[in-house]
Amino acid sequence: MSHLKFLLAVWKANLQSAMEYRVSFLAQMFGMIANNAIYFLIWVIFFDRFKDVRGWGLGDMYITFGIAASAVGLVSILFGNTFSLGDIITRGRLDYYLSLPRPVLLHTISSRMISSGMGDFIYGFLSYAVSGSFSWDGLLRFVLAVMLAAVVFGAFLILVQSLTFWIGSTNNLVQLATNAMVTFAIYPITLFDRMAKLILFTVIPAALIGTVPAEFTRQFTWQTLALLLGGAAVFLALAIVVFQLGLRRYESGSAIQIEV
Amino acid sequence: MAAITVRELRKTFQTKHKAAGLRGSFRSLFRPQYATVEAVRGISFEMEPGELLGFIGPNGAGKSTTIKMLTGILHPTAGEADVLGYCPWRERQKLAHHIGTVFGQRPQLWYHLPAMDTFTLFGKIYDLDDAETRRRIAFLAEAFEIQDLLDTPVRKLSLGQRMRCEVAASLLHRPRLLLLDEPSIGLDVVAKQHIRDAIRTMSREEGVGVLLTSHDAGDLEALCHRVIIVHHGQIVYQDKVSNLKRKFLTRKTVEVRYAEEVAKDFHLEGMQTLKTGRYGVKLEFDTQRTPADAVLARLSAAGTLVDITISDPPLEEVIARIYESAASEVDGQ
Amino acid sequence: MKKYWAIFKLQLANGLAYPGEFIGRSLLILPFMWIFFQLWRVTFEASGGAEINGLTLRSTLWYLVIAEVIELSRPRVANTISEAVKDGSIAYILSKPYNFLWYHYSSSLADTIFRALLNLVLGGGVAWLLVGPPPSLWGLLAVLPLLMGAWALNYCIAALIGLLAFWVEDTSAFQWIYQKLAFILGGLLIPLDFYPAWLRSIADVLPFSAVTYAPARLFVEPSLNGFLAALGQQALWLLVFAGGLGLLYRRSVTVLTVNGG
Repeated sequence: MSHLKFLLAVWKANLQSAMEYRVSFLAQMFGMIANNAIYFLIWVIFFDRFKDVRGWGLGDMYITFGIAASAVGLVSILFGNTFSLGDIITRGRLDYYLSLPRPVLLHTISSRMISSGMGDFIYGFLSYAVSGSFSWDGLLRFVLAVMLAAVVFGAFLILVQSLTFWIGSTNNLVQLATNAMVTFAIYPITLFDRMAKLILFTVIPAALIGTVPAEFTRQFTWQTLALLLGGAAVFLALAIVVFQLGLRRYESGSAIQIEV
Repeated sequence: MAAITVRELRKTFQTKHKAAGLRGSFRSLFRPQYATVEAVRGISFEMEPGELLGFIGPNGAGKSTTIKMLTGILHPTAGEADVLGYCPWRERQKLAHHIGTVFGQRPQLWYHLPAMDTFTLFGKIYDLDDAETRRRIAFLAEAFEIQDLLDTPVRKLSLGQRMRCEVAASLLHRPRLLLLDEPSIGLDVVAKQHIRDAIRTMSREEGVGVLLTSHDAGDLEALCHRVIIVHHGQIVYQDKVSNLKRKFLTRKTVEVRYAEEVAKDFHLEGMQTLKTGRYGVKLEFDTQRTPADAVLARLSAAGTLVDITISDPPLEEVIARIYESAASEVDGQ
Repeated sequence: MKKYWAIFKLQLANGLAYPGEFIGRSLLILPFMWIFFQLWRVTFEASGGAEINGLTLRSTLWYLVIAEVIELSRPRVANTISEAVKDGSIAYILSKPYNFLWYHYSSSLADTIFRALLNLVLGGGVAWLLVGPPPSLWGLLAVLPLLMGAWALNYCIAALIGLLAFWVEDTSAFQWIYQKLAFILGGLLIPLDFYPAWLRSIADVLPFSAVTYAPARLFVEPSLNGFLAALGQQALWLLVFAGGLGLLYRRSVTVLTVNGG
């Protein structure tokens, strides 16, 4: 498929661009690994003292944190511009992608690689490896789970940032949503009541990038797989639809940028 | 068949109006006020394949908006356009395969990479095979004299060098039409010359049509056969550049130096004295009223000529005058 | 001194011009407070008692409010200064009649105070709703000077990291590691009181606890002794880091003027 060849070419350019600053790239990669490791120590301290939170223990934490880290890392590496989509829209940078013969959304989000994402991605695997429930078939499930979680995370980012087409700069909203997403994803799901859980599966799908993929990694069940696949499909579809609607608005000129 | 046909293209924007200060912010939140901006008010024109067409006008005239509509990035409020057989806003991706665009203020080259890498990527974007891409790059590198620049990271290039690479990149996929939006903005005289020559040569050799917007009249003079002047979203004048100069350039300026000192009230029949110095005079005359040989005769009779320069007023002045007459028409409405 | 006050006022006015921006950013504390409440409520339940290591659920949550306020509003100059070094604009400031470090301190302080206020109101509001009023409102009085000290200390460390840009291509790794160390050893997510003794003693001798733990802990249990101890701790570290910063700055200026930026 020519789209795949095109994506590979873009990713290659991203990598080359990052490699122009080799030291920076490595510093960010290792820095992020250290960052995550030190942060995780807090949970080690917590669970050392308090054993578990309604049955959720350190082992669960390793896996959940690992999935979230690798998922965020994957999005950062392959689709780094999902984090800057709002900015790209407000600065009119979308015109560049619109004037080229490739699908706009795909081209836009894949045109950047965030170096620290490499660190996040690697760290997730390390976290899973030391979780105490490592197994080789578990690793395969981990990889699938990470990919699906990445789809949900990326789609969520696209959804929120597409609001820029209607309400202008969404920087704060995006930061808020992303932070909430990642925070809720790594906190023990056992903390939340039914109402909260509902929110965590829909409005802020943190459960789909934390608990559910972690569950799936521990043990294969058709339900968790269906939930992951369904969630990924729904959010992806939603993201694409909302973006296209916003794009139409942008093309009719009723969105923000006007340069006569 | 025309390369571009535009009929009664219109574009109206609604902009939100916000008063200054905190109170203004609140008001705009609850009761937003909109102002209507008619950026393009019924533009119609045609462009032949391979033609070099200039679109000139002051800021806010509607040039960029028109280009955006022709590339399909913006949908018009009314009107039709046909670009290379496609309706731009309905078949944007298909059209994108056949046009190249250079927006002076929006770079296409990846900032941190050598231009070569962007060229290679473009090859993949436009679905060219590797051998074809390489051949094309070699050819363009020679045409634009950028062979030595290709391996330098773009951020290290001067603006002039970058623009040459940008225009070369836009021609990689052999487009039939090249759209340039303010390509010479920020460039020095030498760089401008370079770019214009390269574009002209490419157009001649490959038959690429060039539609260029600018508010630099020098671009027009150097590059275009035909020019369309827009003001306030409408076409105010369109004609061949040569005709433009001939019709509107009825005045010429003469600067002379004499061996003898010049009288303070130096005056010649049929000519207007603009400035007098100790030995020199600057005069203006209307070619339609005073024929050139009469001017020369009178000048040499007035003293011993040491030096003489006769020049046309710059195209800018011509265009400025056209704007003024257009503006007065608009005001008069 | 007068000019830095002017710079401070200018930044403040600047911030006030875009209130929406500030409020938007401060909303972050809301989900944090909510999730902290869930975590500690469940943990306290499971532990069976009303107190853990001398703290109740109520005081723990209020501790976290102050800790988060300090963290979310701290002067974020590491990046600003790094960028100024990287793009060379620091060289221009050297020719101005004010000191680079004091300039960034005064302008970031306006930002910091504004954000702290909003975070305090929003975070404190949520905490009040969830667990009731703080153990002692005197705490606020005690905490204010310590907040200033915490920010000053934070500024020095952040500026130090920023200046590393003269020697290191990318300071982000240092920024992240500093922040996470501050999380752990400053007791940002878990009060230091809950730590195992050996870790607690390490944290006590490091500057991070002076920034976050000391003010937050004092707030929920204000006492004159505690206040003086915390003040002393902050003063000591401030001396060390401000001194270090000054030295590094002088070194940087030498590097700059010798190499020409």
